[in-house]
Amino acid sequence: MIPLEYFLILSAALFCIGLYGVLARRNAVLILMSIELMLNAVNINLVAFSSRLAPSEFLGQIFAIFVITVAAAEVGLALAIVIRLYRNRTSVNVDEIDIMKW
Amino acid sequence: MPSINLPGMEWAWLIPGLSLLAFAIIVFLGKRLPGKGSYVAITAIGLGFILFWFVLKDLLYSRPATFNVTWFDVSKYSLKWGMIIDPLSVLMLGVVTSVAFAIQVYSLGYMKGDPRFGWYFAVQALFAASMLGLVLADNFLLLYITWELVGICSYLLIGFWYERRSAAEAAKKAFVTTRLGDVGLLIGILILFKQLGTFDMSTIFQAAQRGDISAGILTLVAILIFLGAMGKSAQFPLHVWLPDAMEGPTPVSALIHAATMVAAGVYLVARSFPLFEVAPYALDVVAIIGLLTTLIGSTLALVMTDLKRIIAYSTISKLGFMMLALGSGGYAAAMLYLMTHAFFKALLFLGAGSVIHSTGKQDIREMGGLWRKMPVTAVTFIVAAIALAGLPPLSGFFSKDEALIAIRDAQSPVVYLLALVAVFLSALYVARPAFVVFFGRLKPENAHAHESPPVMTVPMMALAFMSIISGFFVFNWVGPLFGLPAQFKGFGAFLFLEHPEAFHFDVMLAVYSTLIAIAALGLGWTIYHKGLISPASIMERFAGVHRVLVNKFYMDDFYQAIINRVVLAFSNLVALFDRRVVNDTGVNGTANLTAFAGYRLRYHETGKFYDYALAIALGTTLIVIVAFLVT
Repeated sequence: MIPLEYFLILSAALFCIGLYGVLARRNAVLILMSIELMLNAVNINLVAFSSRLAPSEFLGQIFAIFVITVAAAEVGLALAIVIRLYRNRTSVNVDEIDIMKW
Repeated sequence: MPSINLPGMEWAWLIPGLSLLAFAIIVFLGKRLPGKGSYVAITAIGLGFILFWFVLKDLLYSRPATFNVTWFDVSKYSLKWGMIIDPLSVLMLGVVTSVAFAIQVYSLGYMKGDPRFGWYFAVQALFAASMLGLVLADNFLLLYITWELVGICSYLLIGFWYERRSAAEAAKKAFVTTRLGDVGLLIGILILFKQLGTFDMSTIFQAAQRGDISAGILTLVAILIFLGAMGKSAQFPLHVWLPDAMEGPTPVSALIHAATMVAAGVYLVARSFPLFEVAPYALDVVAIIGLLTTLIGSTLALVMTDLKRIIAYSTISKLGFMMLALGSGGYAAAMLYLMTHAFFKALLFLGAGSVIHSTGKQDIREMGGLWRKMPVTAVTFIVAAIALAGLPPLSGFFSKDEALIAIRDAQSPVVYLLALVAVFLSALYVARPAFVVFFGRLKPENAHAHESPPVMTVPMMALAFMSIISGFFVFNWVGPLFGLPAQFKGFGAFLFLEHPEAFHFDVMLAVYSTLIAIAALGLGWTIYHKGLISPASIMERFAGVHRVLVNKFYMDDFYQAIINRVVLAFSNLVALFDRRVVNDTGVNGTANLTAFAGYRLRYHETGKFYDYALAIALGTTLIVIVAFLVT
């Protein structure tokens, strides 16, 4: 059996890559993709813990399915926003989107 | 004989209740009623007067009683609306309803054509209702409420012609001055409540008589209550509001200075008499204040030239005399004096009002010889003046002698002598307006003067009748004359149900008090009518004294100086504190601080997406680390 630590390391690595992508990328689509990475890191965690700690109950798996569902909805909404943004500005560079301040 | 259920003493609450109802009706519907609602007020007080007779009859054939309903309960305390029906309250009911009724009828004529005619009668009704409620109240809380209602009504009536600055000022002065006393009264009541846990008068008095309250506190309470009475009854040094209160319409002066407001103070002391009896020194304070007041009032009445002010100062002196009698233990004497004074003083004011109404002047130096023009007014005024001077057999004679006996028996000879001086002065000062206004030569500018309409003269005649006969109540044959039960012989017996006390009559005292009054009237006649002694030359010889008197012992100036130096200075300090500390620092300071903080802090909001994302990531990490370290 693969030790739990391996899953956790994979998940942490995936999460950090995603975080890096969110913070470092300027392209809105890429940022969205990075968020997906982070969400999937969480999913790995959930499934791993669930199968190891309470294998008969599938709680983590069910939760992961919820996360996937919500992520799909979120991507749909976010991409719609990105499209509107692109239509307005011909750019999806988040550096240029800074009017929501004082 | 079949017994008919006549309204008895349990219906006494209707007497103030009707006037209160009249007030509400006039305020809400007055404009649509005939006479702007004036008849409603008069009907209410008239019905009250009729009810008074039933209550009196019931009281004579049964025993004093109290009735109350619970207002609300607070933990173990129960606050009640209640009324006490005993000789004292019934006597006051009779005086207030009869005098108020006469004055309201008179007002129909006097206030005719006034733009706020309806409002005048509304406040008159409220005034009567509060005063009647005051005399019926069986607990100190209710008494205090009605006490303040009387105060606010007097404020409204004194300042009735508020377009005149002096009237507005006088109303304010009356309100503030009496308020000084009211605070004392309130503190006294609250101390009693703290000691005994009740406002109920009979409980408090029984406890005081049993000695449940320590002597020191009892004296303090009695003096605080007397402070309230000093304010309302215009006792030195809180008397200054009363002469200024003459700014109100004359019937108001009659009502305030005869039947209601000033009587409230005397009534309060009489009602709380069980407290004063057992409190050491309290009665002495009452007597001394009363003596000072009567001397100040009677000397000042001698030099005033405004007709109404003369009578106002005479009221002060008479109230002082009542307090002196009360302080000497002359409970029945003081109440008898209160009753007779209510009649003849109301009459004096109504007479003055009649003269003012007819001539349009208030200064007695501009009047003279008016008896030819206004015979009814002249006769009734002179009846009242003689009653005030205390000549037999008018009412003032009996009440004055009764009071003098009490003073002689209880006080030192010096006080008694000064009381006799006050008697002399009161006959002299009342002779002055009587002679100057009604006798002598008629001034040509007063040639158009005319007698007042019957609506004014009839109440005056009724009051004159009462001024003449109300003294006879003291005799022991009065009760049997009306077929009353044997224990009710006369006034003294009526007031002291348990310990019947007959009218004391001291022939020697009666003779020389009468001689004093006659001497004073004679002196007044020589000075003011014959002119054998010229007032001007007296004034010249005693110029210094005259100046002090005309300036009212400089008391107004003294108070004004205190107000300017102390009150206003302190007020400025408070205003400064309010402006600088509360407003500038507290209110504006908070707002400025918030605005400044926002102005500075807004720059950290960059609007850049990754700044926020970084903040979230770092913040979450930080929270995790902290949570990790803490657990």
